[in-house]
Amino acid sequence: MEKDGITNVLLSGVGGQGILTASRLLAMAALHRGFDVKMSEVHGMSQRGGNVDTHVRIGEAVPSPMIPKGGAHFLVSFEKLEALRYLDYLRPDGVAFVNRLEISPLTLALKQPNYVDDVDRILDEKAPHLIWVDGTEMARELGDVRMVNVIMLGALATRLPFLEEADWEAAVKERFAKPKVREAVANAFRKGAEVCPGR
Amino acid sequence: MKQMMLGNEAVARGAFEGGVAFGSGYPGTPSTEILEYLAPYENVVVQWAPNEKVGLEVAMGASLAGVRALVTMKHVGLNVAADPFFSASYMGVNGGLVVVSADDPAMHSSQNEQDNRWLAKAAKVVMVEPSDAEEARWMTREAFALSEQFDTPVLFRMTTRVCHQTAVVNLEDPLEAPARGYKKDIPKYVLLPGHGRLRRHEVEKRLLAAAAFGNESDRWNPVFEGSADVGIITSGVSFSYVRETMPEASILKLGLTNPLPFERIKRFAETVKKVIVVEELDPYLEEQVRAAGVDATGQSLRPYFGELNLPLLEEALLGEARNKVTVSLADVEIPRRPPTLCPGCGHRPVFKVLRDMRIHVMGDIGCYTLGALKPLGAMESCLCMGGSVGMAEGLERFGGPDLEGRVVGVIGDSTFFHSGIAGLVDMVMNGSKATVLILDNATTAMTGAQPNPGSGVDIRGAPAPRLDPADVCRGVGVKRVVVVEPYDMENLEEVFAEELAAPEVSVVIVRAPCVLNEGVTFAEPVELDLELCNQCGLCIRVGCMAIREKDGYPEILADLCNGCGVCVQVCSEGALTIPEKVGA
Ligand SMILES: Cc1ncc(C[n+]2csc(CCOP(=O)(O)OP(=O)(O)O)c2C)c(N)n1
Repeated sequence: MEKDGITNVLLSGVGGQGILTASRLLAMAALHRGFDVKMSEVHGMSQRGGNVDTHVRIGEAVPSPMIPKGGAHFLVSFEKLEALRYLDYLRPDGVAFVNRLEISPLTLALKQPNYVDDVDRILDEKAPHLIWVDGTEMARELGDVRMVNVIMLGALATRLPFLEEADWEAAVKERFAKPKVREAVANAFRKGAEVCPGR
Repeated sequence: MKQMMLGNEAVARGAFEGGVAFGSGYPGTPSTEILEYLAPYENVVVQWAPNEKVGLEVAMGASLAGVRALVTMKHVGLNVAADPFFSASYMGVNGGLVVVSADDPAMHSSQNEQDNRWLAKAAKVVMVEPSDAEEARWMTREAFALSEQFDTPVLFRMTTRVCHQTAVVNLEDPLEAPARGYKKDIPKYVLLPGHGRLRRHEVEKRLLAAAAFGNESDRWNPVFEGSADVGIITSGVSFSYVRETMPEASILKLGLTNPLPFERIKRFAETVKKVIVVEELDPYLEEQVRAAGVDATGQSLRPYFGELNLPLLEEALLGEARNKVTVSLADVEIPRRPPTLCPGCGHRPVFKVLRDMRIHVMGDIGCYTLGALKPLGAMESCLCMGGSVGMAEGLERFGGPDLEGRVVGVIGDSTFFHSGIAGLVDMVMNGSKATVLILDNATTAMTGAQPNPGSGVDIRGAPAPRLDPADVCRGVGVKRVVVVEPYDMENLEEVFAEELAAPEVSVVIVRAPCVLNEGVTFAEPVELDLELCNQCGLCIRVGCMAIREKDGYPEILADLCNGCGVCVQVCSEGALTIPEKVGA
């Protein structure tokens, strides 16, 4: 845990990628460990294919629900453009986990491509510490693309030493009722953790 | 017991713990989830109302019957409910009545940024403001008793960051709140002028009593003792930013923000060298604190609108933000990702056709408002819920020959039931020639698919009576009512042309289920033959997430495509085909 006692995790992506579920699992694991948690999420208009971000803050006592720019210890992005958009939330020592996926915003005309050229290079250059995750690819291999959110979480978990396996297990148990789903989630989580070995 | 809860879920929990017997309201971000979370509790009647005004009226009836009632809405919903709200203040309550207003600073999902604290002051009712999810729970739990104690509706004012934060909440056992029974009381409940004048005195007495309560209440209006250099007066989510920015400061945190506890405020001000008021949106607290003779600053230190956040407050109070932004994005242009209509949405072909016909569209509020955005760009106004109908009538009547027969009002089914019907009555009684399109997807899609009077189910998903908008239109005297499905655009254009030309009011009901509804089946994804494509870009211009540009050609994203066939119909080269339509 940091000196000021709060760890800030920003999750970003496109509506429908399971970001809310991932954020909730993280929050529930932290509560299980006895931390105070505040999380800010998006509902409503912005969900119709727009970009989505959730702020998760974990500590002994967390007053406000929003991460300041320059204050995120971790950025977990489910899509490259949405990693770039939120990069300035990272602290100088902050770590970004970026899923290797491009979803272009609505194209307005044929001759107007609507993405950032060279996004990989820009991300690598700008992010102080960036970890690429082939999350979508790995989820596909597991037979369920929706698992990308759990894979990303598994990768993040390797950098959150204050949470233990039991905390994650408790969160998964609380969130998912069916044993089959729990098993699939646990499996995807482990796959995600393998992305960042040595922890 | 501790649990993670969304702020709105915590309000539902608090209402349950507070012995609520009835919950009503109309969906609206950021308030919507409160009733959805209340619905599963046993022994509580929970129902959506067609609009906020009716929701409040039913709740007033429940209150008179002696049970505790909760009504929820977004900030602009309180404008709709303002008529009963202002007079309910005179009538008072029997069972406790809590009215939630969820305000939306920064307009994440709203058309304006109004600060509804003024409405509590104007209506002279007691107002409660929680600062986080746990307070949302206990303050709701106890607000019913406040309502009964001061014989007033309580305005429970929240903001997006309290509604949509998820945080740790402490659950308590429910309170005993036995029904009080109905007591006939004509002078209290019949607001004739003579009675109203008498009630007016009671309203003032209530404000004095509630202020006295607030002056002495450490629970609702706690003081956090700290350094004597600065004293901060704050409320709502702003408190959490203050706590984090200046943990050492003295803070007076107001949970009751109407009437303000001026004695307490003055006592607090005397203990510190300098008073700063920290709040979002209007200087509601600051103006009153200063008018009461306390020397304070506030708004001059912060932006006049939008949300507060940590860096802003740190700059205001400490001179600079604690966290330095070290990653610069100044040199990259990041395309925006605005919300769009879903692939297969029945609203899309309507706007595509209206755009091609160059019709002037007075729009309304719902998913279909996205028809105003590029590349569709086929909506020319959006004012308030139900506003499309009256505005279309006015524009058609005074737009001159250029607009004659070229104006439509476009409204969703939920919005039509909410407040479009009265506009249609106006058209009929005043002989308008304008045309109204009701986009009927049988749900309230924008706010997350809440049932409306045309859905045929209730908030718990149980079967309910279904009102057909076509019947309603005929019932209010519209002679020309046509029902069409939107995916055949040639037909759609013919129908529109015919109804626009008709020299009387006409309504076209465009019916297609919301593609997010469970049980909607789709056709196979559209296929593209690049050999035939002439790169005209027309398919791109229907504005669908399932078609994107790749190397100067369109590309169909099969994962997203619902096979609705709209793009197929715009292609003159036959490059796009639908393999087989299973029906939508
Ligand atoms: C007075 C008021 N109440 C509630 C809202 C929130 N709101 C925005 S659009 C909408 C309903 C949209 O439903 P519908 O008209 O059926 O259109 P759809 O989104 O299904 O296309 C609601 C409830 C609002 N903006 N104003």
